[in-house]
Amino acid sequence: MNKNRKIEVWVGLFMAMGFAALFYLAMQVSNLGTAYTGETFDVTARFDNIGGLKVKAPVTIAGVEVGRVIGISYDPQDFRAVVKMGLQSRYLHKIPDDSFAKILTAGLLGEQYVGLDPGGSETTLGNGSEITVTQSALVLEDVIGQFIFGKGQEGKQ
Amino acid sequence: MSLAEDIFNEPPLVKIRGLRFRRGSRWIFDGLDVDIPRGSVTAIMGPSGTGKTTLLKLIGGQLRPDEGTIEVDGENVHALSTHDLYRLRMRMGMLFQSGALLTDISVFENVAFPLREHTRLTESMIRKLVLLKLEAVGLRGARDLMPSELSGGMARRVALARAIALDPMMIMYDEPFTGQDPISMGVLVQLIRRLNDAARITSVVVSHDVGETLEIADLVYVISDGRVVESGTPAKLTESGGEWTRQFIHGLADGPVPFHYPAPVLEEDILEAAR
Amino acid sequence: MISLLAQLGDWGIHGLVRLGRAHLLLLPLLRGLLDILRRPRLLLDQVYSVGVLTILIIGVAGLFVGMVLGLQGYYILSRFGGETALGLMVAASLVRELGPVLTALLFAGRAGSALTAEIGLMKATEQLSGLEMMAVNPEYRVLAPRFFAGLLSVPLLAAMFSCLGVLGGWMVGGGMLGVDQGAFWNGMQNGIDFREDIINGVIKSVVFGFVCTWIAIFQGYDCVPTSEGVSRATTRTVVHSSLAVLGLDFVLTALMFS
Repeated sequence: MNKNRKIEVWVGLFMAMGFAALFYLAMQVSNLGTAYTGETFDVTARFDNIGGLKVKAPVTIAGVEVGRVIGISYDPQDFRAVVKMGLQSRYLHKIPDDSFAKILTAGLLGEQYVGLDPGGSETTLGNGSEITVTQSALVLEDVIGQFIFGKGQEGKQ
Repeated sequence: MSLAEDIFNEPPLVKIRGLRFRRGSRWIFDGLDVDIPRGSVTAIMGPSGTGKTTLLKLIGGQLRPDEGTIEVDGENVHALSTHDLYRLRMRMGMLFQSGALLTDISVFENVAFPLREHTRLTESMIRKLVLLKLEAVGLRGARDLMPSELSGGMARRVALARAIALDPMMIMYDEPFTGQDPISMGVLVQLIRRLNDAARITSVVVSHDVGETLEIADLVYVISDGRVVESGTPAKLTESGGEWTRQFIHGLADGPVPFHYPAPVLEEDILEAAR
Repeated sequence: MISLLAQLGDWGIHGLVRLGRAHLLLLPLLRGLLDILRRPRLLLDQVYSVGVLTILIIGVAGLFVGMVLGLQGYYILSRFGGETALGLMVAASLVRELGPVLTALLFAGRAGSALTAEIGLMKATEQLSGLEMMAVNPEYRVLAPRFFAGLLSVPLLAAMFSCLGVLGGWMVGGGMLGVDQGAFWNGMQNGIDFREDIINGVIKSVVFGFVCTWIAIFQGYDCVPTSEGVSRATTRTVVHSSLAVLGLDFVLTALMFS
């Protein structure tokens, strides 16, 4: 029966190691350990150009993640992109409704995200509110075009 | 065909009628009729390659005949459902040529295997039964050895102990004497006879070892070219058997089974090669 | 010329017939789960021989693959000033692709070939026939436990591979090459999504485990019961499993990560 014992122990160890590895991958390697799983409230914002913004991109205030982009759509009536964001419910009625929403890029080649600059209004964002002050994403071609145009102007002078 | 009934006055345990079985384009059996009487030792003999092992597999339901029927204890083997076939097999024991022991478990475990699979006996009951079966074949002391540590003869004896574990009504022996030294052969011969007499287990021995087989058989069938060439008691066959039977039994080099494989005339062949 | 075509056709038909037999084997394999539930000991013994004995090769391979990823990744990324993305690169490569695929390939080579050889030898020595004559169905008793053992073991082994790979990459990146620890782990955690990456990786390894074990068992069960037949079957297991894994990987990746 000694051989049987040995097999049982090893198989038990094997299963434990396997699940421990899976657990480690889930907690330490993926975003599960840091992901927010609580209640959220919806806020929308309209942009002329969202650039490369994707669903699930973070929404930050002062660099801290306060929510995620949950939906992106196009409104054919006013020709702008409508970005729906899910913000963590602990910030419900804590963000002024004249806050400034910008689309920024993380690092030089990073992914794009939404950054909120708080305003000074007394009224705050609730469920379904809309942020009216927005700045679109930086489009590389426009910047280069401006640069060349600017250089051209300098040249003339 | 009622030879069995003449001798033993009971319906045969195994009744084969009109068996035809083909492998590829070759008919292994072409109209075979065999009766195996209950409680007898019946031998099926013939040259190598006549499909004797195939016959055992047909009886056990592992192969299906192309034509004909095989009845075991009144049940048509190939008409049974899988479940009923398995129940029939529990009453049949088979001793393979190589023993076919499970190589990863000990002798004890091998003999206990059918008991563990098919009965709900307690461990202590199983232990007693296994030891008794091993005692019957004289290998109780070898119970903790592994199959790889056994000689060929010992492996066959363990396989025999395993085959009788569930007290079957019939045991089929596939070439039990092939490649054995005289002592092992003697042991096996004695065991087969003893099992048959003591427990009234019907024994079907498939073999081409004439001496040993004729020693223990009650009834012999000689098969060639897929049919029964002759059948009868060993005495009858030895004394008044047909030409073919005589060649087989006495091991004559030439006779109905020719020495020369068919070939063109010798002179022609040699002169051909020289050109 | 004609005979070549005839041979090709013959080969094709035989291939189809074998494919059909392989699929027919699936039913008893799955049905064998009932027997296993009644007798868990069968599964336990097989998980030992198929899973536990593969840990060593998987562990060592995972570690070294991760270390190499760390090295190569660093050299390329540092050209663009992107060393901080090393953690994400190593983890993504492992969890999404290298973990499931390399584990499956190593498994097919080590455990798959062993399974084929074992079952083929059991067939050649008439043990399977013997079981049948003892009224024990070898498909439930011998094949099914091995199948489920493989199905269970491969995902766990793949997780271990990825884990050790990440640690290997960290050792090389953080320890040897001086990549910032915070950047390494944070970049990784921000970039690797549990559902998209980890779960998909696990799904891949389950599929690979299913296919590799199935192929190994079928080749052993279906082989010509001679020593040459067993040897050919073993080779076929490794080749077919590898091709299947790589092909399925493409299909799954396209489905999951498009």
